[in-house]
Amino acid sequence: MAACTTEEVARPTMSTLSRREFTVFATSAAVAPFAARRLSAASISVQDAIDRIKKQIGVEWKSETVDGLKAGDPAMAVTGIVTTSIATLAVLQQAVKAGANLVVTAHPTFYSRGDARTPPAGRGGGAAASDAVFTAKDAFVTKNNVAIFRVSDHWRLRQPNPAAQSIATAMGWTKASNNDVTRFEIPAVSLDALASDVKKRLNVRGGIRIIGDPQLRVQRVGLLPGSTPLAAALKLLPEVDAIVAGEVREWESVEYARDQVTEKQKKALILVGRIVSEEAGMAACATWLKTFVPEVAVRHIAAGDPYWRPA
Amino acid sequence: MITAGEVIERIKKNLGVPWRDTTYRDTFKFGGPETVVTGIATTVFCSFDLVRRASAAGLNMIIPHEATYWSDRDDVAMVSGDALYKTKVDFMRERNIVVFRIHDHMHAQRPDFTYVGLARELGLTQYETAPGSHRFVVPDTTLGALAAQMTKQSGARALRVVGDPNAKVSRIQLGVGYASPPIHNAEVDVVVSGEQQEADGGLDSPAYVLDAATLGMAKGWIMLGHAISEEPGMHEMAQWIKGFVPEVPVQLVRAGEPFWAPK
Repeated sequence: MAACTTEEVARPTMSTLSRREFTVFATSAAVAPFAARRLSAASISVQDAIDRIKKQIGVEWKSETVDGLKAGDPAMAVTGIVTTSIATLAVLQQAVKAGANLVVTAHPTFYSRGDARTPPAGRGGGAAASDAVFTAKDAFVTKNNVAIFRVSDHWRLRQPNPAAQSIATAMGWTKASNNDVTRFEIPAVSLDALASDVKKRLNVRGGIRIIGDPQLRVQRVGLLPGSTPLAAALKLLPEVDAIVAGEVREWESVEYARDQVTEKQKKALILVGRIVSEEAGMAACATWLKTFVPEVAVRHIAAGDPYWRPA
Repeated sequence: MITAGEVIERIKKNLGVPWRDTTYRDTFKFGGPETVVTGIATTVFCSFDLVRRASAAGLNMIIPHEATYWSDRDDVAMVSGDALYKTKVDFMRERNIVVFRIHDHMHAQRPDFTYVGLARELGLTQYETAPGSHRFVVPDTTLGALAAQMTKQSGARALRVVGDPNAKVSRIQLGVGYASPPIHNAEVDVVVSGEQQEADGGLDSPAYVLDAATLGMAKGWIMLGHAISEEPGMHEMAQWIKGFVPEVPVQLVRAGEPFWAPK
């Protein structure tokens, strides 16, 4: 993460801090940014941070949404914020180690859309209480007082689309067609070279899968981060050479792309996986949070590509 | 001479489970019962490339396990404005193709050929704990070695694995298509399945395996891909149909894995 600027560190004014506190604050800030923020933590609670997110997000907050607080006490003082595509246990461990206690995630933490912290009884051949992974993750969250806030439905409604814009930025693409950040004109490149470049720049491991002729020349690229239905590919693929997507169903957009290729329509589909496709956007989310949560340090921790492939 | 309608009637008669007319999946997707059949191709996806190859081989009746028009309901209204839809349909009309999907009844049948075929393809058959359990205990191995072996057995180019490659595993639960067995079953080391929603599903998620690996638990998920997981069983399907449709050739014609992976 970037080092704290003087301005950020100095934000709690001398009048709000005793001389002794200020000395500790200033000294520790240089070596442990998150820990330093603890002294000023009283200035922002988890609920304050959430309220500011809702106010700044730019779209009306829905009554029915997967977004919201999944764990943690809303009244707790925030010591630092970590954004991520998915709050895996590894990400939570790194966040806690860095002194952060609010994790902002794009995907569920407890393995389902419902995000319940215990598994439903009767599934998986065992009673709910016996699940070691659920138990360990829940215990880690409780013991370390981690608050987890999911922002997904509302994040993707922002304009321009933050996940698409962030992928383009990571790829070095700047020529959006008609200011639409889901469509870019890029210097002509073979599909093979483009796929390798996407893999490298978006930090994909085994999650990348391609449909199309490796020698295809690609100049118009469409972006479909996250999970998208057939309708999205039906609309976009005829207008571009290749789509870079997160997750699509294999009986929908994958088959559609395959049939386009069969028909020599010079099309391609690059799948990078849903979690990876939203990671660059969550890095941008950290930058965005910094603009209106100046009291604490905000950083992004990548969950990484879940998949690998045997050599 | 045999018509497509007669082929379907024989399938219904030999199925061993009652035919459910409420199915929206297992219906004619192109052509109709009166079409005279020159040969039958079973396959996993009714991909355009597959249709062309089957037709070139003289097989005009296609029995796919999955969709023809890129959605589970084969929703024609959604795609009829698409140029590719017209091209595909025109081709099928010119070549006198008839398409009848068999999905729901294939999974209802016992045994379910999709599981039989996949176990055979992966070399797992001898390790099944009980017939129809889809549960296999193989000699102790690692997730990495198991995944490498399955890549070789299936010929998959873009198989994906979640979990620690060094995890010691032996207990496998097999899934097919979009039906993944529960990953959090404590009696299972590795789920081997087709396609799985990456997040926001009912419960099972690759993230569970990531967290299990962080905790040092032996857990893995090998995702073969939808086509790889359900195509082998269409060979068993072809062999079965052959038994009661002796008039024309019946064979598996592979749609194949749609993906490749960059180095």
